Amino acid sequence: MSIFTSMGQAEARRRADQLAASLAGMGVPCKVEPRAALAVLMVESGVAQRLADGELRRAALALAREQGFTHLAVELTPPAAGADAALPRP
Amino acid sequence: MSRSAAVELEGQATEKEEALSSWLRARGRVAIGFSGGVDSAYLAVVARRTLGADNVLAIIGRSASYPAEQWATARRVADAFDVRVLELDTDEMNDPRYAANPANRCYFCKSELWGKLVPAAADRGFSTLIDGTNADDVGGYRPGMQAARENAVASPLAEVGLTKAEIRARSRALGLPTWQQPASPCLSSRVPYGTSVTPERLRRIELAERAVRDLGITGDMRVRYHDDVARVELAPGELASWLDSPRAEALRAAVAAAGFSRVALDLRGFRSGSLNVLHGVTPA
Repeated sequence: MSIFTSMGQAEARRRADQLAASLAGMGVPCKVEPRAALAVLMVESGVAQRLADGELRRAALALAREQGFTHLAVELTPPAAGADAALPRP
Repeated sequence: MSRSAAVELEGQATEKEEALSSWLRARGRVAIGFSGGVDSAYLAVVARRTLGADNVLAIIGRSASYPAEQWATARRVADAFDVRVLELDTDEMNDPRYAANPANRCYFCKSELWGKLVPAAADRGFSTLIDGTNADDVGGYRPGMQAARENAVASPLAEVGLTKAEIRARSRALGLPTWQQPASPCLSSRVPYGTSVTPERLRRIELAERAVRDLGITGDMRVRYHDDVARVELAPGELASWLDSPRAEALRAAVAAAGFSRVALDLRGFRSGSLNVLHGVTPA
């Protein structure tokens, strides 16, 4: 079973925040939304395309795995929506 | 693949195809669970060539989880190779055990499918029912295979050891349009276990995948359903180019138009059985 099936929301959130901090450290500033073992990255305009770099992408996937996420996806946001729309609402 | 490896693969596949023809001749008449996918299309064509038109019946089970595009391919192959077809409606969507989408969902789907196909075949004089399970399928997590066993459905491709790569090679040699078609399991495989399967959700997934194909993406691809989020898995070789701004926006808009408010691109790319991994049913 996925470790997330037995994990509380607080622990999932903690892991997501840790992943976000690690990704920011390698040049991918983002918020991470945990959905069980899936981590969805919410990024500002222009950040998603940095992940076209294979090495960076592999590093991001490795960081996600370290936090127990089996899947990592980046949200695609409409350009007209502006940077703030890519971030979670308060 | 090098030329010598391709020649070796073709040689092995041809030998196994001869074993398949022998297997079929020993049965005399066969009905086939026919989806129009790579495996069942190949099986139907070999059976037709080996046994003749009157001794082969390809049966399509139609429901909301069966993509319309796949149905069109099935009909195209059957017409081109003179394979007789019977179509039946299956009703797995109305089985609450299926709709609840447990990890063994495929068992309930296949129980419904074979439960309809076996008597339909018998009514038409076909006592042997076969499916397109191949040698690569045998080791994976496939609860649907249990339903096939319970209904005495045989899997000759697996029995003679034909792998997916060999089936593709022989399909190409036989002129089947499916030889390089990506694998296309039922639409419910895009919905995480525990999230109910409904015709409306499957319709959205089907529309989204068609929209992605319309962008020119030809390799393995899935749109996975995560409530408001559609998570798109592209073949690893295609993934990077769709992260660039203009194409990323085209992808987002295409999938959003199918009825998803948020669209995300998976950073590992397509993997078969992705949702089994997500739920820890199979290892990452």
